[in-house]
Amino acid sequence: MAAPIVVIRDLSKVYRQGDINVTALNRISLDIGAGEFAVLMGPSGSGKSTLLHIIAGIDRATSGEVRVQGINVANLNESELADWRNQNVGFVFQSFNLIPVLTAHENVELPLLLTALGRRQRREQVEVALALVGLADRGHHRPDQMSGGQQQRVAIARALVTDPALIVADEPTGNLDARSAHDVLGILQSLSRDAGKTVIMVTHDPKAAVFGTRELHLEKGELARDSVPA
Amino acid sequence: MSGMDPGGGGILGRSFHGLFRLAGFALSLLNPVTWLGELARAWVRWFGLGPFSFVLVNAMRNRRRATLTVLSVASSCGLLVTLLTLQRELTVPPESEGASLRIIARNKVSLAQPLPAKQLSAVEKIPGVVAVSPFTFFGGNFRDEQMTSFAQFAVEPARFRELLVEGRVSDGSYEEFIKDRNSCFVGADTMKRYDLKIGDKMRFTGTFYPVDLDLKIAAVFKGTVDDRGVFFHHKLLDELTGDPGTVGTWYIRVASAEVANDVIARINKAFENSSAEVRAETERAFQMGFISMLGNVKVLTLSISAVVVFTLMLVTVSTMSMAIRERFRELAILKALGFQRRELFAFILAESFGLSALGAFLGIGGAWLLWTYADLQKWTGGMILYFEVTPRIVATGSVVAAILGIVAAIGPSVAVARTSVVNGLRTLD
Repeated sequence: MAAPIVVIRDLSKVYRQGDINVTALNRISLDIGAGEFAVLMGPSGSGKSTLLHIIAGIDRATSGEVRVQGINVANLNESELADWRNQNVGFVFQSFNLIPVLTAHENVELPLLLTALGRRQRREQVEVALALVGLADRGHHRPDQMSGGQQQRVAIARALVTDPALIVADEPTGNLDARSAHDVLGILQSLSRDAGKTVIMVTHDPKAAVFGTRELHLEKGELARDSVPA
Repeated sequence: MSGMDPGGGGILGRSFHGLFRLAGFALSLLNPVTWLGELARAWVRWFGLGPFSFVLVNAMRNRRRATLTVLSVASSCGLLVTLLTLQRELTVPPESEGASLRIIARNKVSLAQPLPAKQLSAVEKIPGVVAVSPFTFFGGNFRDEQMTSFAQFAVEPARFRELLVEGRVSDGSYEEFIKDRNSCFVGADTMKRYDLKIGDKMRFTGTFYPVDLDLKIAAVFKGTVDDRGVFFHHKLLDELTGDPGTVGTWYIRVASAEVANDVIARINKAFENSSAEVRAETERAFQMGFISMLGNVKVLTLSISAVVVFTLMLVTVSTMSMAIRERFRELAILKALGFQRRELFAFILAESFGLSALGAFLGIGGAWLLWTYADLQKWTGGMILYFEVTPRIVATGSVVAAILGIVAAIGPSVAVARTSVVNGLRTLD
């Protein structure tokens, strides 16, 4: 395995629901290497999305440690965490989550508004990102003028436009037909294999898992299996 | 044969549908929100995406709601400005320094009862009195008007000059006014309103007095609390009415505000137990006496204004809450992408403030246009004579709208700040 980019030690997450404590993650430890395409699988409620959210810095662990590129995410305050996410993490969600009133180009440009880049540099980066996902000619289209697969590709372009080391995808093919899902998974695979990005993807779909380089199977908040996809 | 329409009603229906669409399109062209929405898109095309264009595009995303919000703010601001103007017109007393230096002495029995002209010498001799002039309300109608909105007073010009503390002659010659018994001294607002110039004739039909006046404009004054009045020679009124030897009131200037109460007491004392006892009071007290006849107008208008502002606040807060609630998930995405709480607050605040500002601009601007250019006297049958939307009232309305824009943004901003990215993403999932 390449040098680990994500180091997780004794990670636990406990939710409080009324008087009951629900353990979503129980003392998980694992490393994910740079350039890996890790697929988190498991039944509903197994804690895979929670683990993804904690790694991506949009949720906090109850105990344990998560280091991404050597930074202990738990030590960052809200403001530092927001900056860190902008520079280090790209997000891809199941329901695309594009801003409906903005064009594809503008949606991809959004994370760059937080950087010091000028307008021309931003445009160049957006064009590169859209070209990478095969949508160079659809930049002026709004989300409602595109198919689900195209919208998800725009979301991937948005995730990689800031050139983050880590891309997290939460069931990115959940709302797509088989053809579009295949295209999207191919892009994520290419980002990992060819561009050296570390991709962590949550999915229920065993067919999607084969695109990854590593399959992490969670059950009841614990890491049940760590294997290479067949 | 599915394309056939045997009854022909479909064609009619389609025609009506087309007409409705056309009417809708025409109406949308009149809607400033439509224009702003297009402007927002054009802005993004020309200048690229930035915080300003992002806010603008978001604010205009639901044009129907934005239009209704802007219209509700506009109508409330228009109503608020109208109420404040009404209150000012009904209650504002002279606030200049000169008002506290002037005293009005009237018949103790009633304002309608005249005073003997021979009282002048006695009033003049009272210590502290600097100047005194007869001051008789004529109450005529200008030209063919049914109820003229500015007052006309008969005065003694040479003495009256000493009473104009804060006013100044802005046009013509006061000397000419003194010399010519048939001339008059006119407020600049009245000159402007009727497009008058020096040398023009002003004809008044008497309503209290059974005589008419034909006056030539000799001079114009400006800079008083009310630049609308017309002043003419008391001697002319005496001549026309057969010299009854009476005046309406005495208009008196005292040496300083400190001696005003003493002078008032002395004037009242001087004519005690005479056939024409007087009641002297400061100009401000005299006007407040008129206002008190109207009841507690200030409390009434302020109460209605408070209700208007409260309703406006509910509408704006509710609209902004709905707008943000709809976009909770998007705001969570922005948070995930790295936007800070303060940036999201700025987006929400700018949107709320922008909609309020647009509504305020339309409402306050509309009220200003309406009350400045409408013929209120004609509309209200003379009940409302003059309705000036002052810069202070415009500023008050603007500040209220601005505060509401800010207040409306606070609730949604706090909700967004408190919600974690994960919970935000679960919204409407």
